[in-house]
Amino acid sequence: QEFQFGPCQVDGIVLQKLWQAFWAMKDIVQAQDNITSVRLLRKEVLQNVSETESCHLLHALLRFYVNTVFKNYHDKAVEFGILKSFSTLANNFFVIVSKLQASQEKMFSTRESARRRFLLFYRAFKQLDREAAVTKAFGEMDILLRWMEKFNQL
Amino acid sequence: VPCVSGDLHKPTNVTFISINMKNILQWNPPEGLQGMEVSYTVQYFIYGQKKWLNKSECRNISRTYCDLSAETSDYEHQYYAKVKAMWRTNCSKWAETGRFYPFLETQIGPPEVALTTDEKSISIVLTAPKKWKKNPEESSISMQQIYSNLKYNVSIYNTKSNRTWSQCVTNHTLVFSWLEPDTLYCVLVESFVPGPPRITHPSERQCVSTLEDQTTALEVK
Repeated sequence: QEFQFGPCQVDGIVLQKLWQAFWAMKDIVQAQDNITSVRLLRKEVLQNVSETESCHLLHALLRFYVNTVFKNYHDKAVEFGILKSFSTLANNFFVIVSKLQASQEKMFSTRESARRRFLLFYRAFKQLDREAAVTKAFGEMDILLRWMEKFNQL
Repeated sequence: VPCVSGDLHKPTNVTFISINMKNILQWNPPEGLQGMEVSYTVQYFIYGQKKWLNKSECRNISRTYCDLSAETSDYEHQYYAKVKAMWRTNCSKWAETGRFYPFLETQIGPPEVALTTDEKSISIVLTAPKKWKKNPEESSISMQQIYSNLKYNVSIYNTKSNRTWSQCVTNHTLVFSWLEPDTLYCVLVESFVPGPPRITHPSERQCVSTLEDQTTALEVK
């Protein structure tokens, strides 16, 4: 499949595989999140994102997921027996980040607005206990995948 | 009337059953209380917000389901729901659902299927299912408007040769050609949306016969 995030193009990602991977562990993962009064990927973070902004924002979010969320959730994934699904998502996110890296660096126009959106997410994350925040972010991947899907070039 | 909480077993299998955004919460009676005069109270919660909310029509009810379609109609939000049982002066703890995301979890109903036949072909016109609506007077919204990537799995079965073909289409009209004249064919159609796995609902099986081959019909005369 081919995704167009504004000027950034990402191909070779099979979103159906990511959905299946997440769905296989959704109930286990989301059941661990007891702070239901907080949603990290709120509508203000992802709604009405312009095409040009989307590349920056996706890069920032996925890089955070790769460097922080997946990194700190690995042991839990082993504990819950969901390592296979976990790895599918982690590897694909890593590939997307590296594919976005070059093209998003060349674009300066919408970087600031995308950064403000990311900071909304990041500040909410930092306000929580570290482990709870990682668990919550991991459980909100359906919101992230749903947003990414909108940029799928049918 | 306040009840003593926790003496009763909780309701079980509390889950949302959602088809075309009609979102019904349903559950089973607590263990050991089937057939007894148990009543139930339901609350729901919007993920990311602060309070559990009441559903007045589902307070002290005896049925084991509650329609939360209106309360969960913003399908880009996620929700929880919970139910507790009451019997005489005892009540159970709350039994809660997992996180429910209507946009990703609603099942897509079958399309409407219209068939017209020719000697060697069958034309099929599909109409996408309609989204649940609060009032009958409201204008209908097609599930196609919500899921732009809605597709259909069309199967056609030749009752003479017992052979079946299937085809995945995105448009609403298709023609099966090169069929056998004067033969009964049965058609079945399922809607589906790429993404998370969903239970599918095939349409009613519809059977039509292709027309007699007019050339042989003339020769017979």
